[in-house]
Amino acid sequence: MTALVTALCLVAVLAAPAGAADPVVEATLDNGLRVLLLEDHRNPIVSFQVWYRVGSRNEHPGATGIAHFLEHLMFKGTPTYGRGQYGRLVEENGGRNNAFTSRDVTSYFVDIAADKVDRVIALEADRMRHLLLDPAEIAAERQVVMEERRTRTEDDPDGFLAEETSALAFLSHPYRLPVIGWTVDIRRITPPEIRAFYDTYYVPNNALVVAAGDFHAAGLLEKITRAFGAIPRGADPPPVLAVEPPQAGERRVTVHRDAQLPIVYIAYHVPNSRSEDAPALEVLSTVLSGGRASRLYTQLVRDRQLALGAGGDYSYYSVDPNLFWFWANPMPGQTPEALEQALLGEMVRLKAEPVSEEELARAKNQIEASFVFQEDSVHSRASLLARFEVIGGFRLKDEFVPKIRAVTAEQLRRAATTYFPDSGKNVGILIPKS
Amino acid sequence: MTVPTHGLTLGYIMAQMTMARRLALLPLLLLMPGAAVAAPLARREVLPNGIVLLVAERPAVPIVAVRAYFRAGSAFDPPDAPGLANLTARLLTRGTATRTGADIDRAIEFVGGSLESDASRDGITVSLAVLKKDLSLGLDLLADVVRRPSFPEPELARTRKQIQAGIQRSEENPEAVAGRELMRLVYLGHPYGHPADGTRESVGGLTREQVVGYYAEHVRPDAAIIAVVGAVTLDEARKEILARCGDWARPTSPPPAVPTGSATSAPEASTIARTLSQTTVAMGRRAIRQDQPDYFPLVVASYILGGGTNSRLFFRVREERGLAYGVYSYVSPGRYGSAEVVGLRTRTAEATKALDIARAEMARIAREPVGAHELDAAKAYLIGGFPLHLDTSAKVANFLVGVEEQGLGLDYADRFREGIARVTAADVQRAAQRYLLPEAFAVVTVGTPAPVSGAR
Repeated sequence: MTALVTALCLVAVLAAPAGAADPVVEATLDNGLRVLLLEDHRNPIVSFQVWYRVGSRNEHPGATGIAHFLEHLMFKGTPTYGRGQYGRLVEENGGRNNAFTSRDVTSYFVDIAADKVDRVIALEADRMRHLLLDPAEIAAERQVVMEERRTRTEDDPDGFLAEETSALAFLSHPYRLPVIGWTVDIRRITPPEIRAFYDTYYVPNNALVVAAGDFHAAGLLEKITRAFGAIPRGADPPPVLAVEPPQAGERRVTVHRDAQLPIVYIAYHVPNSRSEDAPALEVLSTVLSGGRASRLYTQLVRDRQLALGAGGDYSYYSVDPNLFWFWANPMPGQTPEALEQALLGEMVRLKAEPVSEEELARAKNQIEASFVFQEDSVHSRASLLARFEVIGGFRLKDEFVPKIRAVTAEQLRRAATTYFPDSGKNVGILIPKS
Repeated sequence: MTVPTHGLTLGYIMAQMTMARRLALLPLLLLMPGAAVAAPLARREVLPNGIVLLVAERPAVPIVAVRAYFRAGSAFDPPDAPGLANLTARLLTRGTATRTGADIDRAIEFVGGSLESDASRDGITVSLAVLKKDLSLGLDLLADVVRRPSFPEPELARTRKQIQAGIQRSEENPEAVAGRELMRLVYLGHPYGHPADGTRESVGGLTREQVVGYYAEHVRPDAAIIAVVGAVTLDEARKEILARCGDWARPTSPPPAVPTGSATSAPEASTIARTLSQTTVAMGRRAIRQDQPDYFPLVVASYILGGGTNSRLFFRVREERGLAYGVYSYVSPGRYGSAEVVGLRTRTAEATKALDIARAEMARIAREPVGAHELDAAKAYLIGGFPLHLDTSAKVANFLVGVEEQGLGLDYADRFREGIARVTAADVQRAAQRYLLPEAFAVVTVGTPAPVSGAR
């Protein structure tokens, strides 16, 4: 009993109170690998994640989807752990593993019982540099990726329109490219190109290891150093030089395809977290679509009953400046034109009058609470550290809530005026084919 | 950063990510292997009016998750009013004797919390998530919506239209379309056979009088489970729940039962035409309840067949032939019945081939005993992953409600581990012979009937 009480007290002491800085152990190995470790002893589990700073942002026309294709191939074996071994070893040890590719990063994660983490470290260190990339495996996986594209894009009206609208919004920056790649590119990409991409970007100096859970940081760091430390530093990957030029006028795409209801997207170019306007844009996004008391829900969904759903999403964590998306799904009988006008009407209002004190306070409270809710799982704790590390350093996480707290209603109004001009619209409309 | 949103979310844009693996969303209770749990997961008490209170203390993070669950899901829908449970559930938060729906939204969202209500086949669930400091407010709102909903007519008209539009929009999603048709065939004549949302037509006909009647009959303390999980003690939780629900009188009549009668399963084939580049295939049949001894062998058999990235279906259909991104099998248990489901999605020209492979693997696992290594690996995964499934207060709360609702006992985690550990290759084969032979499955395909050539 005494032991149990002591254990509980320890847990309480170790758990960071809301808003306090995470007690992160950080290191940069000689080969450039960044390591962030966060002890959390509430449950006997560990979330072990490897993030590579590469995504569709690093791709070029004609070879789109290569970062995501490679992500699939990371499960296809090395000389040490052959085909299927990775998944088998993780699952046999009761672990959950998956990966995702975004515009900015490719992330691999395993959530597993704490006493099994050594195996995961060995597997991740091995596949950072030793993939087989067997052409026969690539050929089979190409078909799987094609199926994934069909599911996410060809047969999904939302995915289809989002792809068209992104491609419209950017002239120069690779954010115009779909993460999964264009169909013709997925079909064409060759094994040597994939190998070259792997050799360029899967190097320790382009990667981040982040773990949260039931371990002792010093001991885990030693194990990570032993497993990853011998991997030679690679050449620095080429920087992404593209800068999106200012938008000169409204752009619009209308897609007619099989669907039940129309979709309306309106996207504007906005700065990312590096801008001092970023906290205001983040709060604005929550004012617009954080819950049923939000602007777009109360106006478009509840009161006017124009939309089945509507929202506004900001890209705070984007590595390069990205888009602020407004979206609406018209109710049956409502036209996309009516929804577009309704969304634009909300923008006029945002520019004309400051949001109420209640709206502002609610949005701030929602953002702050969501941070606390994320503390509940080691997986989300590790992911959040990684997201901040990717955009400039994990300590930015500690500054985030204070920055949100400092936002004023006037800053929201100014941000709306600055970033949502009529000439900056990128409009995507999907009209169901009858 | 995202905060809780309602209605439709824009997953594609928000995440702009795409994943290597796509695994079936396994039902919670399937994935509840046991662990070496020294102390019971939660404390259980039955309050004088019949409410079952389950409390798990998780003091480290200052948040509390609450589930108020009522045995009142769509299985209780009157035969002529599919969707009534769901409409009733959705309206709980849309107004009470003293608060409008908008008041409730503003109050809970002002503190960064959420209060949601919905219906599944078995139950209506009201879910609360709040910071610890706002627990009192959250429980006030939760008690108000479950005890004093006013079902305002304008909110009803609006919600009805929203549900109808949601059903219409889901017709774009081939997996939703296939799932609905499959459940109809698997649960012919059974209360699980109709979708919880109802149909566009049935929802259009639902009246306030029906909603009020349904609420009065089904949402009651003696059909309730309340789980409180997080930074709260048992004494505190009991006191707070009793203060708000202790005087909720139990009706004199016993809670209604679900008529499960003479339901049959139809091994029929059903094709739904849609202009799509892929064909979605869903197969299903009735299986066994979670409290039956053969449930554990069936869980292992389903896992080996199509439960993860080591499964036979994943290897044969996806890894070897590149025929699918998603392919899976799982047991879907419910209080009043369970189903075995196998599914995949592939380019239309290859649908027949993929389906043939899936069927051959179903037949093979019934014909040949599984290998020792394959069996051990499956059991290790099912047993070893336990802590991952209970790593947040919300997950623990859902688990507690599920365990109580299925009558499995708070030691179910331990018994699951023991039950899985005991499964032999012969057990797996016996379960497969009973529940995985392809001939007994209903088959639904959604897609372009005639094979078409690839995507654009």
